[in-house]
Amino acid sequence: MSDNVIIRTIDLKKHYKGDEIRALDGVSAEIRRGEVVVVIGPSGSGKSTFLRSLNLLELPTSGSIFFEDVDITDSKVNINLHRQKMGMVFQQFNLFPHMTVLKNLTLAPMKLLKKSKEEAEKKAMELLERVGLKDRAEAYPEQLSGGQKQRVAICRALCMNPDVMLFDEPTSALDPEMVGEVLDVMKSLAKEGMTMVVVTHEMGFAKDVADRVIFMCDGKIVEEGIPDDFFTNPKDERAKQFLKSIL
Amino acid sequence: MMAVLTFAKWIVDAPGWILSLPEGLQRLIFQFYQVFIYENRWKFFTDGLATTFIVTIGALVIGVIIGMIVALIRSTHDSQSKKPNIVLRILNVICKIYVTVLRGTPLMVQLLIMGFVIMVPKGNFETMLCAVITLGINSGAYVAEIARSGIMSINAGQMEAGRSLGLNFAQTMWHIILPQALKNILPALGNELIALLKETSLVTVIALQDVTKAAQVIVSKAYTAVIPYISLALIYLVLVMILTKLLAILERRMRKNER
Repeated sequence: MSDNVIIRTIDLKKHYKGDEIRALDGVSAEIRRGEVVVVIGPSGSGKSTFLRSLNLLELPTSGSIFFEDVDITDSKVNINLHRQKMGMVFQQFNLFPHMTVLKNLTLAPMKLLKKSKEEAEKKAMELLERVGLKDRAEAYPEQLSGGQKQRVAICRALCMNPDVMLFDEPTSALDPEMVGEVLDVMKSLAKEGMTMVVVTHEMGFAKDVADRVIFMCDGKIVEEGIPDDFFTNPKDERAKQFLKSIL
Repeated sequence: MMAVLTFAKWIVDAPGWILSLPEGLQRLIFQFYQVFIYENRWKFFTDGLATTFIVTIGALVIGVIIGMIVALIRSTHDSQSKKPNIVLRILNVICKIYVTVLRGTPLMVQLLIMGFVIMVPKGNFETMLCAVITLGINSGAYVAEIARSGIMSINAGQMEAGRSLGLNFAQTMWHIILPQALKNILPALGNELIALLKETSLVTVIALQDVTKAAQVIVSKAYTAVIPYISLALIYLVLVMILTKLLAILERRMRKNER
């Protein structure tokens, strides 16, 4: 396997109710180190399922996922160790409401990376400063706006020093005026060379930031390519339809 | 053994200020005297109260421990996306049977079975142990359902967020799910504690000397039921009111920060 591939999925399938519903119907894809891949597609296309199976929040029915050359679908693999290297950001933020922002950020590094409280807090404060929320460290999640919550959620994932960041529609639950602040954080992450897989409806972000766009439909990848080609000259009929409906 | 104290005998030795009162009041004071003061009968109540406390607290501890374990097994089993392994499935069935049986039979019957069929305690200590264990096992079934509903009430995204960071199932449960669940179920747990305190009165059927038994003993000695039983009701009422107040304070503290 070539060095610069960080995630490779082979013929990933996710079926429900026997074979009736095929959320993923044979998805093979590669994510390379430092690459920003945006996954788009109509609702029900399986793009979220695909993203969520990359860290096994969704267990695929068959197929394999190689993350840093380890097949994490192998039941002998300790998935918890690999998840530490894959940060995830959710549509609904999923911050821990009973902890302050700072505790949200330091819990996992202290428990899993065995960092001291001081070390973990230092790193957390650095990240909070980067996203402009240093003064909110002692606040509880419910005291934050949606955009602030999502920026905290990004910091929480970054605190584990992940090798790849997975974004599951990170701006879909936000008020329109807050989308920008979250996208800005994501853009600066991309600029620093973070490997990112992003499921989103923000076509502007896809055009500006993505190195590659994957278009999914009916649980399959039907087209992929660099954004310039994809957005100006889509080849697949469903991709054409989709772009026409949203642009 | 002293003879039964009658009003006529008592009034002869009564202090002067009582003699100046109307007779109705005199008789009332006599009743109080006879129930609480004569032969130090108030000690029945205080000794009984101590037993009631011990049984309540012991049963609460056992109930919460059993309840939490059962709730964790049940909700872990139910939250598995793939088919749970055989051990978990067996444990889950055992827990289900436990909850069904304990909630499906009267506590009184459970006490009779534990007291006269299974444990058959001899002596005070064994009887108290029997009461604590029976009430604890009974309460555990109710706490289990309360705790399970609390765990289930936490959004699945919380578990996903914890797991996505690399925390394992137990760590996520302990640090993220349970603290939130506990806060949600606190009112229901408080109700269970209050119910438990009142239900300890049933331990009289295995002849444990709790506060209810104390009132019964005094009735049999003083040949009057009004004051002992009304006092007994008031004792429970005051205890429950104190508990309610304490729980309200605790709840307010836990809510101060978030949500």
